[in-house]
Amino acid sequence: MSQPKSKWTPGLIGRTAAAWFIALLLFFPLIFMGVTAFKTELQAIAVPSLWIFEPTLENFEIVNERSDYAQFAWNSVVTSVLSTALGLLIAAPAAYSMAFSPTKGTNGLLLWMLSTKFMPAVGALLPIYVIFQTLNLLDTKTALVIIFTMMNLPIMVWMLYTYFKDIPQEILEAARMDGASVWDEFKHVLLPLGIGGIASTGLLCLVLAWNEAFWALNLGAAEAGTLATMMVSYSSPEGLFWSKLSAASLMAIAPIVVLGWFSQKQLVQGLTFGAVK
Amino acid sequence: MSYLELKGVEKYYGDFHAIKGINLSIQKGEFIVFVGPSGCGKSTLLRMIAGLEEINGGDLVLDGKEITHMLPSKRDLAMVFQSYALYPHMTVEENMSFALRIQKQDPAVIKEKVAQAADKLNLTDYLKRTPKELSGGQRQRVAIGRAIVRSPKVFLFDEPLSNLDAALRGQTRVEIAHLHRELNATSIYVTHDQVEAMTLADRVVVLQAGVIEQVGTPMELYDRPANKFVAQFIGMPKMNLMPAKHFANMDPNISEVGVRPEHFTLVEAGSGDLQGKVEMVEALGNETLIHVELADGEMIIVRQYEQTSLRPEAPVGVKIDPEQVHRFDAQGKAIR
Repeated sequence: MSQPKSKWTPGLIGRTAAAWFIALLLFFPLIFMGVTAFKTELQAIAVPSLWIFEPTLENFEIVNERSDYAQFAWNSVVTSVLSTALGLLIAAPAAYSMAFSPTKGTNGLLLWMLSTKFMPAVGALLPIYVIFQTLNLLDTKTALVIIFTMMNLPIMVWMLYTYFKDIPQEILEAARMDGASVWDEFKHVLLPLGIGGIASTGLLCLVLAWNEAFWALNLGAAEAGTLATMMVSYSSPEGLFWSKLSAASLMAIAPIVVLGWFSQKQLVQGLTFGAVK
Repeated sequence: MSYLELKGVEKYYGDFHAIKGINLSIQKGEFIVFVGPSGCGKSTLLRMIAGLEEINGGDLVLDGKEITHMLPSKRDLAMVFQSYALYPHMTVEENMSFALRIQKQDPAVIKEKVAQAADKLNLTDYLKRTPKELSGGQRQRVAIGRAIVRSPKVFLFDEPLSNLDAALRGQTRVEIAHLHRELNATSIYVTHDQVEAMTLADRVVVLQAGVIEQVGTPMELYDRPANKFVAQFIGMPKMNLMPAKHFANMDPNISEVGVRPEHFTLVEAGSGDLQGKVEMVEALGNETLIHVELADGEMIIVRQYEQTSLRPEAPVGVKIDPEQVHRFDAQGKAIR
């Protein structure tokens, strides 16, 4: 038996304490939100904050009554799933050609795509609003699907490009020599080998689309509103409803948090952009 | 009639002229080896035949049919890659049957063909394994198996042995030679290893800077190199080259004289054709390489199959086998 190596040296204690402190600091707003959701409005604004109280579910009931949770949730599901699917359909062939038949312009193109994310979204609001207005697409799920797809496309292409680049080109060439058409090559070789990366990319973009608020608010607040817009409706100029806002937020993020919990591994892989294998 | 014909085949990468008008006729059943220093274009030429690199000029004709711009998947050629390029997510059996499954052949026929190939390559016990559970040598055999189940028109090998260790390389080389004799399939094999070239080839194509320097049987290249480059490229240690002025009564067109190490014999100092002193002795057991510094400082290597008691600094004479002298003009072309 070998001796366990870890000893509680002062340095290790310090680092552990610092790590816990930072983790709690980052996590605190979420805890606070979770706790507040179960308070009455009166308890919610008490100073100092109450930590011991009788939890209530009335906020959830009121939120559900006042705003049609199911409708918002459905809109969120439709827009995020469809935009992710559409994005993958466009991004995968783009990443494939950039990874396996790069030209002199490929790097520039990749950078240009990413650079579209450098601009604040509000900069494009007016033209996009006018375009969607002209097309009669304002406050439709179609508009949100289009805008979410466009918003996530650069990230999708980048991520898939990085994953595809890790697949040795000779394996694809071997498939070609074996008589595989482009479709066979995709179905039998690229898809099975790249499924991890494709799944990570899809998951990340699903989360990004789910949490998107800016475009959802500006282009689809009423009929096509997503859960993010529902949340915002509880922080209004007429007064804050802290516990209801918290309850609404909790309800809005719950599905994606659960999804994230079950797909942690894929997500982490996705966020590290294929650097960790 | 030739089976595979390259007619003035060209390749450019931007301004770089990589393959400069290659003409070559390959007969059915022939084993052709492309050999040359790295960067000579041998792999590029193979990939052009495979269809993995575009051909920018000239024609490629296979079995009477022009295939210059045909997709690689339509050419019916099989390729064995240096990195094996097995499908990592498939078992050995699935790897070997992939091409046939793509062609939608009868599953019973596929099973039979895979079983035969696996038997030939001693892979029967490994059919259910995935590539990462195999050794390098086994992986290479799977790659070869993947090619032979298809019975393609031509086998293409791109440095298939360079990822194997020396012992395995020797063994696999022999296996490839056996397979070729058994299947009698037309094969093109790229290597930078002249031992592979000499032992496997019916004909060797020596390439340099995108140009064919010489095509011939291994012994033709060894005995009658067309130029200085081939003379020095084939043979280990390489052919000794000496300025013609060392020798009396030479044709004025001859600028250099080449002699292979085994065509020198060491004799008493003072006799023989050249004089010098021993610089170093490499005793390899079956042969001895003696580095001799000639009177004017030129170094030559002498090979003999007996062991020697000579020590460095010992004065020696060197005799040349007059039948085995190669003469080159100022351009490096052989003069016969």
